[in-house]
Amino acid sequence: MKIAMIGWEYPPFKAGGLATHCYGITHSLAENGVKIDFYMPKTKQKSYSNTPNLKIIEVGETDIFPYDRPDTKELAGLFYDAVYRYNDIVVAKVQNNIKKHGKYDLIHCHDWLTMRAGVTLKEKTGLPLIITIHSTEYDRAGWLYPNQWFIDMERYGMEKADKIIAVSHFTKRVIIEKYGIKPDKIEVVHNAVYPIHEGQKQEIVLFLGRLTIQKGAEFFLKAAQKVKEHEPNAQFVVAGTGDMLPRLIDQAIYLGISDRVIFTGRLTEEEVKHIYSISSVYVMPSVSEPFGITALEAISAGTPTIVSKTAGVAETFKNCLKVDFWDTDEMANKIISILKYDPLRSTIAQEGKQEIDLFTWNRVAIQTIDVYNKVVK
Amino acid sequence: MTSICIYFEVHQPTRLNRFSVFNVGKNSDPLSTYFNNELNFWIFEKVAKKCYIPTNKILLNLINESDGNFRISFSLTGTFVEYCEKYMPSLLDSFKDLFATGAVDLIEETYFHSLSSLYDDLDEFEEQVTMHNEMIKRIFNYKPRVFRNTEAIFDNRIAKKISEMGYKGILTEGTEKILDWRSPNYIYKPVNADIKVLLRNYTLSDDVGFRFSARGWPGYPLTADKYANWLASCQGDLINLFIDYETFGEHHWIETGIFDFLDNLPNEVMKHRHLDFVTVSEAVERYEPVGEINVPWAISWADADRDVSTWLGNNMQIACFNEIKEIGKAIKQKNDKEFLYIWRLLQTSDHLYYLSTKGMQDGAVHAYFSPYSGPYEGFINYMNILQDLKQRI
Repeated sequence: MKIAMIGWEYPPFKAGGLATHCYGITHSLAENGVKIDFYMPKTKQKSYSNTPNLKIIEVGETDIFPYDRPDTKELAGLFYDAVYRYNDIVVAKVQNNIKKHGKYDLIHCHDWLTMRAGVTLKEKTGLPLIITIHSTEYDRAGWLYPNQWFIDMERYGMEKADKIIAVSHFTKRVIIEKYGIKPDKIEVVHNAVYPIHEGQKQEIVLFLGRLTIQKGAEFFLKAAQKVKEHEPNAQFVVAGTGDMLPRLIDQAIYLGISDRVIFTGRLTEEEVKHIYSISSVYVMPSVSEPFGITALEAISAGTPTIVSKTAGVAETFKNCLKVDFWDTDEMANKIISILKYDPLRSTIAQEGKQEIDLFTWNRVAIQTIDVYNKVVK
Repeated sequence: MTSICIYFEVHQPTRLNRFSVFNVGKNSDPLSTYFNNELNFWIFEKVAKKCYIPTNKILLNLINESDGNFRISFSLTGTFVEYCEKYMPSLLDSFKDLFATGAVDLIEETYFHSLSSLYDDLDEFEEQVTMHNEMIKRIFNYKPRVFRNTEAIFDNRIAKKISEMGYKGILTEGTEKILDWRSPNYIYKPVNADIKVLLRNYTLSDDVGFRFSARGWPGYPLTADKYANWLASCQGDLINLFIDYETFGEHHWIETGIFDFLDNLPNEVMKHRHLDFVTVSEAVERYEPVGEINVPWAISWADADRDVSTWLGNNMQIACFNEIKEIGKAIKQKNDKEFLYIWRLLQTSDHLYYLSTKGMQDGAVHAYFSPYSGPYEGFINYMNILQDLKQRI
């Protein structure tokens, strides 16, 4: 089987879980004998592949990568232009490659960023189209004021696709209920993780993610204040960046915990691994979380993890703690308990690492190939 | 002649309230803040309606119709009887009616369905057995002769203690771990004590308890005549069918046909001339040991492992178990009746059962019974309460 996969980000360039996902899925598909041409925008840090079957094709050029939501009108305008331009170039490039090297069996796109190209290619070449939905506009807006432009774009792609892969049952429900797509067109394939080494644990409570409304960092800070009274030595780390950073810094001062909170800004991949490995608790209080690969990353590093009840990862992973993102009393109860009770910490870490072994990219590849086989003629 | 010995465990734990770290050291009255009376009443009433009341009625009919040839045994835990006395005395009356037929035997156990048999000293265990003994005496005016420990936990030490306390028989699991190639359908004797051991035939017991409504099971659908044929084809003196009472109407709902099965079972069994029913006391009187068993490490009837890992399988469980033992030392010195009672309610084995992290099939069973969303939430809650109790004394 030979496929054209159209992406937006790929390591070393990385804004979110999408890059991690694309890296994992392309490599594991390639290992399972699928030939992949992975199309992505040209970046300053060149992406490449040494894996047989996997070719990375960089097209076009753009400097604008707000994975989430552009925060100014001006940037938004530039961003949409960049997305359109990229989609147009991809279409031309794929058609060109088909002429030169022969047909693909299908087109596989990720999220709204690449949908236009996917649909155009489907219409021009007649190839089946698969779309993976990693998040919807509702998730990114935290279910407050979603932008109709994104929603229309997403619905357009979903309607035209032959099959949709949702990263969780939670997301499948959103696609059915909010986008009116028929359930039998949607397959659920949960994400996976490349395990991270466990380090020397310190009394660090970690938040890691984009600082946007979707990820719920403000609830983390509220819980931190309650934990501080009980565990005065606990250190809170907010890793990542985003449009809410200034507000969150103000909030930490207002809550009187600025002496215990460190805002790291954007971390490199090595720094991310390091902070996971030395943290004692990872908290993912997302308001809306289609999956949440970061939870798996933390757990793989032996870090007990607390996630939002509604997060996609919570529906499939047993050995983590679950809370309502708004219930900061319970969040604090759980954070304190992990810090205070060693047997809890050791059991959850040990059981979690065992369960993590089931979440391999190879499993994702096998399930994805099953979906491919349903549409390939 | 092969005798069928049917025995039902009837138990309800005292489930706990939500208790966060912020509650530790803050509340005034432990009895009302530790235990979730509302939830406990709700579950008790639900199970009574679905299981206890209808099953007692069927059993009473069956005994009367068979002129007492259908014979059974019960163990009622102290916590269960307290629920009856508090919320539904009529249910306790229906157990008294059953007992009054003369075809029903009662079994001794620890009042609190606890793991006190695994403590370093057996004094607390002995006290809880005595409490149960006094409770049965008070309500039924009867002195049980056969003992069954919490979830059939058994080892040489427990056997010896129970023998010394004057019991004639003790129940446990007929696992290969202790039998090897031998059949559970006979009476055995521990290497170190003079007491008869009744061994649960787990295959035939679980056919009813676990598999009855499993459509993927080759035995499905299980009818009374089919099951009676299986019993009739067994070799041995005695087939011990030890079953959780909630099997009827609660684990298997009425729609599965479990009550029809029960209703037809005595007749179908008695069609086989070489089969009859006995109570546990009668089994112990009638049959003699055919061999010895040696059980240095505790076994039980729980989970696939048939050991005590169900309650003591991970660090969280062991930590709570040790904590409750430690608190006991201080409680006994303090000599305060209310604290002693609370400490004992917290010893009920279910509190540790909910903290099990076993995977696969057993894990699904644990989750079914648990009032928590998972073992970690269970640990936090239980441990917080233990910390609060510790601070108070």
